[in-house]
Amino acid sequence: MIEADALGKQFVARRGRGREVLTAVADVSFRAADGAVTALLGPNGAGKTTTLRILATLMRPDSGTARVGGIDVTADPMAVRAQLGVLSDARGLYTRLSARENIAYYADLHGVAAADRESRLAEMAQLLDMDHLLDRRTEGFSTGERMKVALARALIHDPQHLVLDEPTLGLDVMSTRALRKLLLHLRSRGKCIVFSTHIMQEVEALSDSIVVVAHGRTLAAGSAAELRHAGGGGSLEDAFVALTAASEAAA
Amino acid sequence: MKGVWAVFIKELRDAVRDRRSWTIALTLSMAAGPLVFVLLSNFISGLEERVAEREVVIEAPSHAPTLVNYLQRIGAKVVEAPPDHLERLRSGSLQNAVVRPPADFEDRLARGETVEIEVVYDESHEKAQPVVATAVRLVESFNRELGQQRLLARGVSPRLLVAVQVQNVNLASTQARGARLLFIVPWAALMVSVFGALSVAIDVTAGERERGSLEPLLANPVDAWQLVVGKWAVVVVYSTAIVLLTLLGFVASMRFVSNETLQALVQLQWREVLLFAVVLLPFSALMAALNMLVATYGRSFKEAQTYVSYISMAVQFSALVPVFLTVRDAAWHLWVPSVGQLSVLMKVLRGEAVGAAHLLLPALVCLAAAAACLWLQARLLRRESIVFSRG
Repeated sequence: MIEADALGKQFVARRGRGREVLTAVADVSFRAADGAVTALLGPNGAGKTTTLRILATLMRPDSGTARVGGIDVTADPMAVRAQLGVLSDARGLYTRLSARENIAYYADLHGVAAADRESRLAEMAQLLDMDHLLDRRTEGFSTGERMKVALARALIHDPQHLVLDEPTLGLDVMSTRALRKLLLHLRSRGKCIVFSTHIMQEVEALSDSIVVVAHGRTLAAGSAAELRHAGGGGSLEDAFVALTAASEAAA
Repeated sequence: MKGVWAVFIKELRDAVRDRRSWTIALTLSMAAGPLVFVLLSNFISGLEERVAEREVVIEAPSHAPTLVNYLQRIGAKVVEAPPDHLERLRSGSLQNAVVRPPADFEDRLARGETVEIEVVYDESHEKAQPVVATAVRLVESFNRELGQQRLLARGVSPRLLVAVQVQNVNLASTQARGARLLFIVPWAALMVSVFGALSVAIDVTAGERERGSLEPLLANPVDAWQLVVGKWAVVVVYSTAIVLLTLLGFVASMRFVSNETLQALVQLQWREVLLFAVVLLPFSALMAALNMLVATYGRSFKEAQTYVSYISMAVQFSALVPVFLTVRDAAWHLWVPSVGQLSVLMKVLRGEAVGAAHLLLPALVCLAAAAACLWLQARLLRRESIVFSRG
């Protein structure tokens, strides 16, 4: 279970000579259950990446609280990291190392035993269709190939919780299918999965529950059917436009 | 500790695979010794040849046959000056003094007058200095002999002219005189400590930001200090290997130096090399930490290189500090990294006694400063502006 409660985060940006305070996240709250895929849906700049960084203990929230598996992210970040897999916004690999070595590095950092590592690697290689990539150096990998390696290294310690920032960004159809297959497999094993996206079409295919975020606030949450109903019975896109328009009018 | 070890193994593997970097580092460190010693050896034997030749360049020797006679009698070689000798002196293609007797030299000499002889030279050409001194000395000895003859002709003992005789007693041992020139040896060793592992230091810090691998790395359950220490250990291993190779290169080149003067001047046997290593390794550990700390501010490899170049500039300037300060071996030298190392290395080369304090104090200063750099770097890695801005 991942819980976010009234999260807020501000940045200080330079503007000309002065400084300007930008609010990236104003008030984001949601609950992501175990055995379910939860999508954070919102336009660019809605605060999705910042929210996920807070969940991954990479940023400290200015206000509000977040808990991963019941553990507060600011109180015990190490314990949170140990049971969390993160596909962050930046997903750089070490290009002089093979895919297998990249993944093994993260396994070592998590203290995963070699036998567990190999069996999980074999399973993921099969689910993600990346057997042929494992012993190649990652220099020159395509976006899809890089995403597969980054995802495999985020999962090598078999975390209960998974946070993915725009996992489908730049992927072709085959890679997106492989990703979906993996997420469904993880869901069937009772994992708690949160991912962010701004693409309407993939939300319905990938997620059980949707959290709509815009201007740093949670606007609505529920299944695709519930959101469509709340938005007046049109498509999900119509519902999304109606919700964000209402929030802009309120702001 | 498990985290430190995992980081160490991974970064070591990564560094070893960066073949281009280490090939360059290896080549440079192995070339440093032979290069330094070939240059030194050439410089010294050049000096020796000229001084041994006792060559005097004279403009229009026909004006002063008496002088020419004298010079030839005492075994000096007399050479007529080329007509464009002034330009050639300035440009350095003629590295000697030109003696210019006036046209009426012989007449005035015969009348017992004092004749001015111009000795023209360019002091800015360092190699020319000892040769010029020899030429001037030869002309002066001509003067002395002639004066003595004139006194004897008038029945006066030349000894009356010598009220005081100066006896030069130079306290510098042969080694100490050589070490003045040998400044270049510790300096080269120090530079290798600064530059040897620079590319690795940048790769494990700014390289991590440039690749976008820092953010996911920090999401692992490993403290920032473990990452920093593991990375630092790899940079230290790398630079230690390069410093040791360079020193081996020094020893090996010394074996092939044929110049006897240089061999007598330089004390660089196994004992000295061991002392060099003891002095240099803590310093290169500090350089590893400092370069890493500064490179962390770089969002890309290139940006980091710019920042890091200020460090190497500072070290090169600090090498000049002892040159400009007239006090040799002031106590505070030992407290300042790079100045301390240079002054102890010079002591070693001069063959002076080096005590435990000379080795321990600079080493402790370096290690303490390295620890401070690592601590600061671990703090930097928790800063959001560092983690989330990429090149």
